[in-house]
Amino acid sequence: MISQTRVSKIEKSFLKLGQITILAIDTFKATFTRPFYYHRMLEQIVEIGIGSALISGTIGFVIGLVMTLQFGHGLASFGGTFYVPSIVSVSLMRELAPILTSLLVAGRIGSGITAELASMNVSQQIDAIRALGTSPIRVLVVPRVVAAFLSLPLLTIFSAFMGLIGGLIISDTEFGIPYGFYINKVLEYLHFYDVLSAMIKSAVFSLIITLVATYRGFNTKEGTRGVGNSTTWVVVTSSIAILISDFFLSKLLIFIFLK
Amino acid sequence: MSAILEVKNIHKSFEGTPIHQGISFNLNENECLGLLGRSGSGKSVLLRSLIGLERIDGGEIYYRGNRIDHLKEEDFFKIRTQISYSFQNGALFDSMNVYENLAYPLREHTEYNENEIKAKISNILQVVKLEDKEHLMPSELSGGMQKRIGLARSLILNPEIILYDEPTAGLDPKNIENIVNIMLELKKANSSSIFVTHDMPAAMEVCDRIVIIGEGKVQFNGTKEEMKQSDNPYIQDFFIMEGKA
Repeated sequence: MISQTRVSKIEKSFLKLGQITILAIDTFKATFTRPFYYHRMLEQIVEIGIGSALISGTIGFVIGLVMTLQFGHGLASFGGTFYVPSIVSVSLMRELAPILTSLLVAGRIGSGITAELASMNVSQQIDAIRALGTSPIRVLVVPRVVAAFLSLPLLTIFSAFMGLIGGLIISDTEFGIPYGFYINKVLEYLHFYDVLSAMIKSAVFSLIITLVATYRGFNTKEGTRGVGNSTTWVVVTSSIAILISDFFLSKLLIFIFLK
Repeated sequence: MSAILEVKNIHKSFEGTPIHQGISFNLNENECLGLLGRSGSGKSVLLRSLIGLERIDGGEIYYRGNRIDHLKEEDFFKIRTQISYSFQNGALFDSMNVYENLAYPLREHTEYNENEIKAKISNILQVVKLEDKEHLMPSELSGGMQKRIGLARSLILNPEIILYDEPTAGLDPKNIENIVNIMLELKKANSSSIFVTHDMPAAMEVCDRIVIIGEGKVQFNGTKEEMKQSDNPYIQDFFIMEGKA
């Protein structure tokens, strides 16, 4: 028998999901109607996109190095070292780059958005935006959602590209695979679908991160303690949501493009 | 005097706890109405409800004869340029300096060019006597200054009604005097206002009429003289408690 507390928690979870959905719908409507806040959007693109480029590239590069090293040694015993470029490039582009970049952005940007909006909420700045006859969704949410939607797919491709460079270096230095062969194999096995799939996934993940983060920021109470709790909640929730949705997105994209 | 704002039978609860149980009053043109009550009596919630920052559960609110309580959020935007809200702590945008805070409503709701915006800001800073502070960030201002800049921001669109949420709370006597003087100046300029406060001397100085709420209802609605002479036990008790505070 399910206890009353558990029912209440389930109800609250559905309530939150409903509220995030309403926020998503309102954000979608506000994205395509006036007034537009281009200046704020540009600020957010710099913050989210350019601000995350170095760390995304570094992570991609290191993952490329490590994967190539592991796959190379693993496949060497079967004489399959020459399959390394294709395996590394496809797994990087389809899965690792979108997932790792999105998890990184969830930690770096999601928590930052929540902390900023939660602080604004507890100090009544969001109420002030409303009281001055403007919409917090237009002023605060839309620029962040659009900026992440545009930036994250590009960050993902950049991260995957850096991963391929990492793989190229290790393939040559550790396994003696020539650059030309590596590049040929990557181009042979990496299809437009793989790049598109990475971009679609990361675009969806960007919506998850920013909508969860802005929702929580707007609904933070209990002062500074609440701000801390909210940032933790956002990172955990959006990371889990990214991982779960990745499975369903992979299934859907395979169904659409590969069947 | 004609009513510019009518509040009829407002009900509001939070998670089953009733806050307002049928509150009604009017705000007349060019009148300053003091809204008093003990802490937790729902004064600020009531003030927020008047411009839809808080949604009421029941009752009606009319602005210039038009019902506004049921409006959608986006339809409230125009109303909020006419009925402005001055927050207790100023609620300044902490990522913007004073100039940008004051320019925000002008950029959103007017077609002024940058020179006109500059002139408007210069004027409003003179009204709140903070002429030389436009380049400072909110964190560089004292609590009293933040309230005055918050007040300036709520006045910059020349609203018909100003809702003051405890503008003198937590201030030293000099800053209270500054705020009260600004409110008196605005009153002379024929603005209508509702003044939520615990500061009885300030209320007596600025307000034309007093509404006291308690236990979810209006306990008193009348002039300052009527309030002083009231033999209503709730009012007498309220004054004893406020006096002690």
